Amino acid sequence: MKTWIIAKNVLRRIAHDPRTLVLIALTPLLFILLYGYSFTSGHPTHLRLIVVNHDNGLASVRTEAAGRVTLSLSLGDQLVSALDPRTFDVIHETDPAAAQAAVKAGRAWAALVLAKNFSQGMVDSVLSTTGRRVFPYEGRTITVLPPEQTETGFARLDLDDSNPSVSEAILSALKTAFSGLLPQEQNKETPTASPLVVTPLYGGGTVSLLDYTAPGVIGFAMTLITIMLTAISIVRERTTGTLPRILVAPVHSFEVTLGHTLAFALISILQVAELFVVSYLLFHIRFLGSPLVVALIVAVYAIVLQGIATLLSTLARNEFQAMQFILVILIPSIMISGVFWPIEAIPQHIRFLCYASPLTYANLALREVMLRGRGIAGIGLELGALGGLAIVTLGLGIAFLHRQGRSG
Amino acid sequence: MDEVIRASGLVKRFDDRTALSGLDLSVDRGALYGLVGPNGAGKTTLIRILCGLLAPDEGSAQVLGWKVPSFRVRSQVGYMPQGIALYADLTVRQNLAFFGELYDLPRRTLGERIDEVLSLVQLLDRADQPVGGLAGGMQRRVSLALSLLHKPQLLFLDEPTVGVDPRMRHTFWEHFEALADQDVTLLVTTHIIDEASHCRTIGFLNQGKLLTQGTPDEILERTGADSLEGAYAALETMEAA
Repeated sequence: MKTWIIAKNVLRRIAHDPRTLVLIALTPLLFILLYGYSFTSGHPTHLRLIVVNHDNGLASVRTEAAGRVTLSLSLGDQLVSALDPRTFDVIHETDPAAAQAAVKAGRAWAALVLAKNFSQGMVDSVLSTTGRRVFPYEGRTITVLPPEQTETGFARLDLDDSNPSVSEAILSALKTAFSGLLPQEQNKETPTASPLVVTPLYGGGTVSLLDYTAPGVIGFAMTLITIMLTAISIVRERTTGTLPRILVAPVHSFEVTLGHTLAFALISILQVAELFVVSYLLFHIRFLGSPLVVALIVAVYAIVLQGIATLLSTLARNEFQAMQFILVILIPSIMISGVFWPIEAIPQHIRFLCYASPLTYANLALREVMLRGRGIAGIGLELGALGGLAIVTLGLGIAFLHRQGRSG
Repeated sequence: MDEVIRASGLVKRFDDRTALSGLDLSVDRGALYGLVGPNGAGKTTLIRILCGLLAPDEGSAQVLGWKVPSFRVRSQVGYMPQGIALYADLTVRQNLAFFGELYDLPRRTLGERIDEVLSLVQLLDRADQPVGGLAGGMQRRVSLALSLLHKPQLLFLDEPTVGVDPRMRHTFWEHFEALADQDVTLLVTTHIIDEASHCRTIGFLNQGKLLTQGTPDEILERTGADSLEGAYAALETMEAA
């Protein structure tokens, strides 16, 4: 058996390549560290919630002993203080229309509007479900009777439901805050009907997990295929000697880089089109926006990926090293770009890393268009970031290739 | 005769190895110049610097009157690297057509020119075969054809005859001589001293330095040796001393 001889030779070759050795040691570490840190909470945090609190704090109730009395409860203020500070970043607003517009524009996940009669409505709601109750009143306790009629619409929530796990986290945290509103001993039975009237912006529960993850997964597939094809192709050009031969011809380095970019960007766009068509026809993924806007995002992202791939190819001396470098780029992409779990669920102290990954912007932009039906105006920030990254990565790719062409 | 290549004080280091240590070189137009030396003498490094693929650490070089690296000289220079440096999955004709377009050869005459260079290396009948399917020697011939495609004024040929059969090697040298007669300058590297006798001027290179240069007869006379091999050995011993 010559197996060990063959294995020894393979290991010896790897041991002679310090760059590969470092990458072999670092790649699994990067994988597990990012996974561990980014998935610590698994629960979305710091979600922007706009609160419009118009509650006057009063509730007029019928009592057995004293007839009709007015209780001063300030349940609106209590609710706002009971909102979990880890789940919500609360923004106060006075105009309900402005709050709703902010949610529609994607500046917040939800707008909670508490009407003037919020305290009244809450008390009536609890009493109508649980019957008579004892309340503290002017230093004593009084028994309050159920209301003759109850009102609705005193607590409204305009919810951006394009992200199922974020919606779930918001509703769950609000439920907890609502259930803690009235004194503990009187609240043993939770009201059966929630007083909160939820208006989902995007169909209410029709955004499935598949819809939510599809844009990111398509973006990830594009990252994987494009970077691999481009980087390996350029490294092969160099190791087989065709790249130096091209660089001796009257061709500028930028023409070489842009030539590869053009070819692989076209391939990339065709592959992504294939992914979209199959996902749409077979799995009926949600696609509200314009295919042209999606094509624009894909085209700009393809250029970013070409730049990254060119950079990687200039760092790698052979195909083996190129593969290792590709993994170093791909692992963070899938872990911290909000593909499977939302960026909001990643601990805040490492959340800045998410914004260093180009896939984050592609993913966010694709989601805006596909799930929320936004146009170019709605993805200006993401598209701008991708455009900037395209210029930087491609510029560096050209510079590195030029430098390498002159340094062997 | 005007000077086509002028290198002065070229130094190139790779980590702890010095490939060129203060090399000076001068090659005139129409020369068939053989750069002879053992493996690792610095021949390929020198050619890569002259082609603009490597930057020297010290010294400078001029090619066709321009300091290298220079974009201007590229269309007038042909380069046959030591490796095959062709697309194995493309046919012979596709490889030549691609590089022909890079060298701005007119599309309407490109086909004819490809046929001409393929006839020269006797591979016209293999034009539509993938390069990867050809024998090693044939691939070298395609590589040579490619470097001649745009009719360069100056040719850098790095070990052009390695792996080529003796009959074809003879044809190669005949063609190199014919090109030199047409005022094309050729800088040919080889580690086979016998082959160097085909060259009209020879430069002996050792450890990154030019030991001597001249016609084969001049070198034999200068060293008192009766063969170029003997002359090289004598110069190497003198240098070591």
